[in-house]
Amino acid sequence: MTQRKGLRRNPSLPGRLIQPIMGGGNAYLPRQAYIKRIIKENSTVKTLECVFEDEIFNTDFTYLPGQFMMLSVPHCGEAPISLSSSPTQPGSFDLSIRKAGKLTGAVHDLRTGDMVGVRGPYGRPFPMDDLRGHNLLFVAGGIGMAPLRSAIRFCLDKAEDYGDITVLYGCKHPHEICFNSDLAGWRQSGLVRCLLTVDEGNRDWDGRVGLVTGLLDEVDLDGANDKAIVCGPGVMIRFVLQRLEAMGFHDTNMITTLERHMKCGIGICGHCHFEGKMVCTDGPIFTRAELPDLEVL
Amino acid sequence: MNNKTFVLKKDHLIPLLRKLAKTNRLVAPIRNEYGDTIFSHITSLDDMEIDLDHQPQGSLKPWFFPQTETLCRYTLDREPKSGAQEYGFHVQLPKNRPTVYFGVRSCDMFAVMYTDMVFLHGDERDAYYERRRDHAIFVTLGCNTPFPNCFCNATRSGPFLEAGFDLQLTDLGDRWFVETGRARGIKVTEEWPAFFALATEADKRAQFQAELEARGLFTRLVHVDLAVKLLAESKAPEAIVTELSRRCQDCGGCAYICPTCTCFNIVDQPLDADSGERIRLWDACTFSGFTLMAGGHNSVDGDTRKILRRFMHKLKYDVDKHGRTSCVGCGRCVDMCFGGVDIIRFINRICEEGENGGETDK
Repeated sequence: MTQRKGLRRNPSLPGRLIQPIMGGGNAYLPRQAYIKRIIKENSTVKTLECVFEDEIFNTDFTYLPGQFMMLSVPHCGEAPISLSSSPTQPGSFDLSIRKAGKLTGAVHDLRTGDMVGVRGPYGRPFPMDDLRGHNLLFVAGGIGMAPLRSAIRFCLDKAEDYGDITVLYGCKHPHEICFNSDLAGWRQSGLVRCLLTVDEGNRDWDGRVGLVTGLLDEVDLDGANDKAIVCGPGVMIRFVLQRLEAMGFHDTNMITTLERHMKCGIGICGHCHFEGKMVCTDGPIFTRAELPDLEVL
Repeated sequence: MNNKTFVLKKDHLIPLLRKLAKTNRLVAPIRNEYGDTIFSHITSLDDMEIDLDHQPQGSLKPWFFPQTETLCRYTLDREPKSGAQEYGFHVQLPKNRPTVYFGVRSCDMFAVMYTDMVFLHGDERDAYYERRRDHAIFVTLGCNTPFPNCFCNATRSGPFLEAGFDLQLTDLGDRWFVETGRARGIKVTEEWPAFFALATEADKRAQFQAELEARGLFTRLVHVDLAVKLLAESKAPEAIVTELSRRCQDCGGCAYICPTCTCFNIVDQPLDADSGERIRLWDACTFSGFTLMAGGHNSVDGDTRKILRRFMHKLKYDVDKHGRTSCVGCGRCVDMCFGGVDIIRFINRICEEGENGGETDK
């Protein structure tokens, strides 16, 4: 079957196409979307639930967990932001954003009903098909939970396709934990084993204190068959991967993400270079086998 | 190549260009009052003299991928009832102008073929580049005498081309030898047959001779293939990378002057509180801010590794990806860099190190 360039069939959602939403063949022209709802996850993270202004795109728009959008904010340019919702729940999409610079700071001043610009979805997603039938271990640090939330929601909506799901989540402080309602929901569902830890507790915190790597001792894992999906700060990913390796995980069974400065999102501008690859099109999802040198994280 | 070859009389060149300029914009190297030879729009063939004796300072890159350009305009508005912010994008595509690029050297033509791969043959087509690139006719010029820093023989992108041009001219002293390449070039010879006499066997022999002689006139000996081989086998030696990174003064000149460097930045430029422009501008991977992310993390250590991306991209990654280096051997970065961090220096250092390494192994 011949397909138009730039169109790929979404393997996990049969019959639908992964098509970057573009403006009349111009890959740099954003589409308008408005903010339907803002969820304040904590003092520095907000989740924007976005809906395309043009309704046709809401019905056609699909993506896979791990992909990202280029988000335009007035006068601030664009930045790559992970999709934190799941395509199994269509009609809108979520972008979870931590205040880190000028653009993300401006995002936190936006209000419900305000418009943003978006291009995408871009990037190589999590291999949701390859994960089928395996027990899955998700390890997240801080805002690194955003793309994993997308994958976890996806797996729970297709629970019959996936094995046991374990979520390990670490944050620096209790007040930095994001997606509290998701975490509560996952625990209540009985489908997810969900363990939280913080680096430094406080008076109100009666949970675990310690690094997320410590949680790995509390779960039963089968390195030969389980798949681990890891996202968080570079240093955390490095320690988790090294630990998983020591536990016998094969390097193709460990999946993680690279974070880079990006301008175009379509493999041209050069900013997200990583050896011979472009993180925006060859990634951002990589297996451990594709990252021989963990210093790149 | 089985395409027809012709001979064009020397004093017929300007009349031919005059004909072509009637329906096309004509771009050719012009020597300006400061003594710089620069590709310029020829508005009058009577008042402007085309300079084919010097290497143009810049390549054709800015004609297809300008140093700055507007991608779109954006406007902000308040919804009267709710006060919600509306945000509109208005595309600004460049004009589609048929253009004849005359006097293009082989290296620069090769560079256009490379940038075509980057902007047109990836996952997405770049609409801005495509607009400028459409309807372009390239009349190239084989180099009988390479310039002092040229090494296109080593990058296999000159001094004469086998393909890619519409018409390729060779200076045979009293006449031009004309090879037809792509369809638009053939069309020119068909449209203006009076200018083109079929080449004789003697003309063909003279062209062959000129090409052969040119290959022997390179003064720079640059072992591009050896460097490519060494970089494919092992990492670039840290000592060389660190030394050259420290010599780099962060000016970006090498990337700007390079006909195949295409990295760019995109920024918003507010015009007033309610509108602005999204601008694309050249960028350079050697800038220490190139990979800096919000929050301060930088995946490249600017102090010791900033030049690595540039040279590896040209000599390794593009070899892996496209089967050839993306250095076209024009030598412009040699004169540009006052720190001596040019690609010839890098290649020579890699080769010296490779040789020394080889000796110590024995």
